[in-house]
Amino acid sequence: MDIQLEKISEHVGDTGDFIKVDSEKCNGCGQCALVCVANLWLIRKGKAILKDDYTKKCLECAACYSVCDIGAIEFSYPRGGTGVVYLKG
Amino acid sequence: MTEYDVIIVGAGPGGSVSAKFCAEAGLKTVFFERGRKPGEKNASGCGLGPRMWREFPEMMKRLTPDVAPNLRMASCVINHYLNKEMEEIAVEMYYPTASVTYEPAKKFITMNCYRSEFDPWISSLAVEAGAELRTSTLIKDLIKDDKGKTIGVQTDTGEKIFGKIIIGADGVISTVAIRSGLNPRWRPDQITLVPQYDFSAPPDIIDKMFGSDGLFRDAADGTWWGVTFPSAYQVIFGDGFHIGLGAWMGQWTSNPINFLNKLISSRPFQRMVKALNAKPREIQTHLLPWTQEPIKTYTDNVMLVGDAGGFPCPLEAEGVFPAMETGKLAAETAIKCIADGDTSKQGLKLYEEKWRKSSTGIEFSTGGETLQRLWKNLFFSVQSEKNNMEWFIPLYHEIRGGHFDWSEPHIIRMRQILETVRSYIPQAMPFFQKYVIPLISDVIEEDLNLLPLFIKLTEGLRPKKKK
Ligand SMILES: Cc1cc2nc3c(=O)[nH]c(=O)nc-3n(C[C@H](O)[C@H](O)[C@H](O)COP(=O)(O)OP(=O)(O)OC[C@H]3O[C@@H](n4cnc5c(N)ncnc54)[C@H](O)[C@@H]3O)c2cc1C
Repeated sequence: MDIQLEKISEHVGDTGDFIKVDSEKCNGCGQCALVCVANLWLIRKGKAILKDDYTKKCLECAACYSVCDIGAIEFSYPRGGTGVVYLKG
Repeated sequence: MTEYDVIIVGAGPGGSVSAKFCAEAGLKTVFFERGRKPGEKNASGCGLGPRMWREFPEMMKRLTPDVAPNLRMASCVINHYLNKEMEEIAVEMYYPTASVTYEPAKKFITMNCYRSEFDPWISSLAVEAGAELRTSTLIKDLIKDDKGKTIGVQTDTGEKIFGKIIIGADGVISTVAIRSGLNPRWRPDQITLVPQYDFSAPPDIIDKMFGSDGLFRDAADGTWWGVTFPSAYQVIFGDGFHIGLGAWMGQWTSNPINFLNKLISSRPFQRMVKALNAKPREIQTHLLPWTQEPIKTYTDNVMLVGDAGGFPCPLEAEGVFPAMETGKLAAETAIKCIADGDTSKQGLKLYEEKWRKSSTGIEFSTGGETLQRLWKNLFFSVQSEKNNMEWFIPLYHEIRGGHFDWSEPHIIRMRQILETVRSYIPQAMPFFQKYVIPLISDVIEEDLNLLPLFIKLTEGLRPKKKK
């Protein structure tokens, strides 16, 4: 079964940036990319980078932040009333 | 400057119940929700356990199809077993057994309700009781006094709100837990990552299959066990169902969605999708604390309830009831401590004393660790070096299903089954010794005198003369 996740998730409002990577700290281990269900991470030249449109696709689970044990990822939820919306959660 | 008696962060089941009981006792109460309305940020199975009806009878009486149109009763769970090739080799169904002691637990295992229907309803009870609900408001930080004690919260627009007590009901990534220092960070073995698909399905077909007069009477809960994916759950509602699976952080060997996609693409799952005329409707992903022991849940002026405190039960991570119960106990503590004028950690220690004695606390009192070790090393072992599902599924299949067979004289069939079972003993025995026996000895309260019983049973086994 081939499901395109973007087609079955809804996002509202202007979230602003809410995930930041400290590229000094990042060791490129790739755990964030491994666990991101929405597939929003790339590893380039040994560093994790977020895809440009992540704010419109992020499911806000915070797995990337939680799995990064060197603390290179800063996560805060998007501003109130914006971001992913679960209609049937 | 606004000052409240109680500030609650989060309008999930924990926050809303806290807010309701605080407001009913006349405390000036506010609760904050980052979503535009409660529920729109949350994803659960979402099967509601019967303890909610026992502990909150007046409230739960009011959860009806008027407020939650897709509410569906699950009196039975259907377990599906898939082999390595992802074909179904066994299905079983169980309704509540004779040892269940109370209504409505005799009637149902769970009541299934979308969070998008449950959370607005439960938060409305708090508002009705006089609590102030502020939605679309993200709490970004805590405000501390010069001694480092929490005295308020700050929103994402910089607004400051002060209160005597702050209850963190803000779920797994809890700003209150992080900023108060109670839980700066979860260890990877304390939290699971759970992706879940929501499928739509026509209500009349769901009724025919899983309704009270359906083919599988009220069987609206399902589990999927396999050799190649972590155990999955299915929860059926009025107009669709959830299918999800999870594992602890740091345990994933491939993207979680790959495992879920593998399951939903399997032939048995696709047969069900076809029979139900089901369509993928939404993808949801959420973290879920699943720990052997809650974290420290109080400090000066602060208490943590529900997921923020790590309260989902250690065996199956049922978390809605624990959130509600701890929410109520935190409210009772707040009411007393505010009346006594002592909201310091000495005063709030009462909260932990209360939850330890509660239904939620009992889950952790004995066996939390052994339960979880068993669980992790069996149903969630597919990504580890020792995938115990590889022998468990065929062994279970053999024991439960082997005798439904007329392929040989019965005596020969029985020998075939016994020999096959015996061939799994080298793997099963150490597993039982390491994970099952310690659990049984944790669980048994009084001496049930099982040992003499076993000895007596084996006494009947006569050694055979060689022919
Ligand atoms: C996929 C999945 C399936 C599950 N299935 C079941 C099940 O079938 N049965 C069951 O009993 N349990 C289940 N659970 C567990 C259950 O969902 C949780 O234990 C329960 O929701 C915890 O309730 P809570 O009130 O503590 O937190 P939550 O329900 O997470 O509520 C927290 C609320 O706070 C808000 N919030 C968070 N941070 C902030 C902030 N900084 N400012 C303002 N608002 C904020 C959130 O938007 C949210 O509404 C499941 C969990 C998952 C992830």
